[in-house]
Amino acid sequence: MAEGPLENLQSGRKLDAAPPGCPALRLVGVTKYYGSLCALDRVDLTVRQGEIFALLGPNGAGKTTLISIVAGLVRPTAGSVEVFGYDLKKHPMKVRASIGLVPQEINYDPFFSVNEVLRFMMGYFGLKPDQKRIDAILQAFDLLDKKHSNTRALSGGMKRRLLIAKALVYDPPLVFLDEPTAGVDVELREELWKYILGLKKKGTTIVLTTHYIHEAERLSDRIGVLDKGRLVRVGTRDDLLEEFGEQVLLFELERPVEQLPHGLAELGVTRQTDGRHLVYRYRNGNGRLNEVMDLIRSSGLSVREIRDRHTQLEEVFLKILGRAGGLPQ
Amino acid sequence: MNWIGFETLLWKEVKRFLKVFGQTVISPVITTLLYLVVFGLSLGNRLPTHEGVGYVEFLVPGLVMLIIINNAFMNTTSSLFISKLQGTLVDLLVAPISNVAVLTAYVLAAVLRSLLCAGAVVAAAWLASGVTMRFPLQVLGYAFLVAVSFGLLGIGTAILSDKFEQLNLVLTFVITPLTFLGGVFYSIEVLPEPWKTISLFNPILYMINGFRHGFVGVSDVAPLLGLAFVVGSCVVLAVWDLWLLAHSRKLRP
Repeated sequence: MAEGPLENLQSGRKLDAAPPGCPALRLVGVTKYYGSLCALDRVDLTVRQGEIFALLGPNGAGKTTLISIVAGLVRPTAGSVEVFGYDLKKHPMKVRASIGLVPQEINYDPFFSVNEVLRFMMGYFGLKPDQKRIDAILQAFDLLDKKHSNTRALSGGMKRRLLIAKALVYDPPLVFLDEPTAGVDVELREELWKYILGLKKKGTTIVLTTHYIHEAERLSDRIGVLDKGRLVRVGTRDDLLEEFGEQVLLFELERPVEQLPHGLAELGVTRQTDGRHLVYRYRNGNGRLNEVMDLIRSSGLSVREIRDRHTQLEEVFLKILGRAGGLPQ
Repeated sequence: MNWIGFETLLWKEVKRFLKVFGQTVISPVITTLLYLVVFGLSLGNRLPTHEGVGYVEFLVPGLVMLIIINNAFMNTTSSLFISKLQGTLVDLLVAPISNVAVLTAYVLAAVLRSLLCAGAVVAAAWLASGVTMRFPLQVLGYAFLVAVSFGLLGIGTAILSDKFEQLNLVLTFVITPLTFLGGVFYSIEVLPEPWKTISLFNPILYMINGFRHGFVGVSDVAPLLGLAFVVGSCVVLAVWDLWLLAHSRKLRP
């Protein structure tokens, strides 16, 4: 994917200015039932203008439902949605005009070429087709040589890129990317990430859903964890690590011990079954390392090596979902 | 009002059927002309005249109505249903285009396709047998309104259908029988009772006869009654479609 050609482009798009400080997206008590199945349960969420917000969650957590509600594809059972200060129910057209949606499922129109599809998208959003901008988008997504090809003839990766190009060609200030890198190769994934970060630099607000923790970690300013329809945690990566992260120290002893010396268990130290390793785990900032070290020394144990590790975001994610079996030792 | 959005959707819909011109225009025109050749030009000479109107003159308006009804319905159903199936309807559902604009664009494209087909059949009939129109404005008005009503029926059918089979059910078991039994090929005057009375409950009968009256000045029912029927159908179907576009769980669960 080429970098740069979009940066100097003016789309000519005129949106009603959002009031300063007004969030890009505000959900209050958003709930969705499909029959008796609760897909979203009283979700409150605020996404600031210009940030990249990642929604993490296992399959069926409600990520796509949440995005679809904001984009107007699914009706909420209860709750309110505001986009740049506009209420979705009262001003659906203004909300729609502000949103670019990259759906999870690849779709294509077998009747039209790549260029025609992009011209239609600009038109739907009230913009006169601007071939210069379309060419720039096509170049940015490495589709310029496929401009006149029927969309049916594109490869899977190309169709995915066209899907993203369609959502960006009218330059929406809020973009939803529903698992944009699902099923794409590593190279394209890297290119997409670069592109998404470029959009953020231009001031676009981005909400993305992903299964890949690394993707959320790499791109997002904040992360929201959805589980069974509930938004269980929202925070920056560092917030989440601070709240849920653990430090683990592994003491390798010169000689194995039969049992844990007196006092260490009270501090949270455990002995591994081989008797050669002691493990001390503590929440970030709450360690009593000096006392542990003093007790080990005063018990006459000789330490050969100390290894430490801290929690990865993936482990925090599993912990939030209540599925962690403890850190690997 | 997002006029650019409306124009874009209208243009896209017109372009869609023009891209498959052979299938959407040429093929139905050829089929209809075959009806004209077989029933009109070959068998027509052996059939009695109706109120002084020759059978070919009588048949042509019926066949033109048939092609208008089928193509208006098929244009909206297939376009909307295929985009539902392919997932590209999402592009339209997220766009800031009002339901009225969406409906109008889809229906106008259907009207254009059916009038193109109808125009070709009328031109061929004029060349072959010199068929003319007695009240051209009435013909145009009926053609337009009938195309609108079946375009509207197609929208609702496509929204509610989940399978191609369901679209075909409506066409095969509702539209085609009602059209064929609505006086395309014959006057209901030749039917025995109770079929004559039963036929009066077929709304398409009023459309075909009102249209035929514009061509030959002869109708089984009062042309004004036909007009009321077709205008009423347009209003009812438009309200139904707008309700579906706004509330149907098939579009927005």
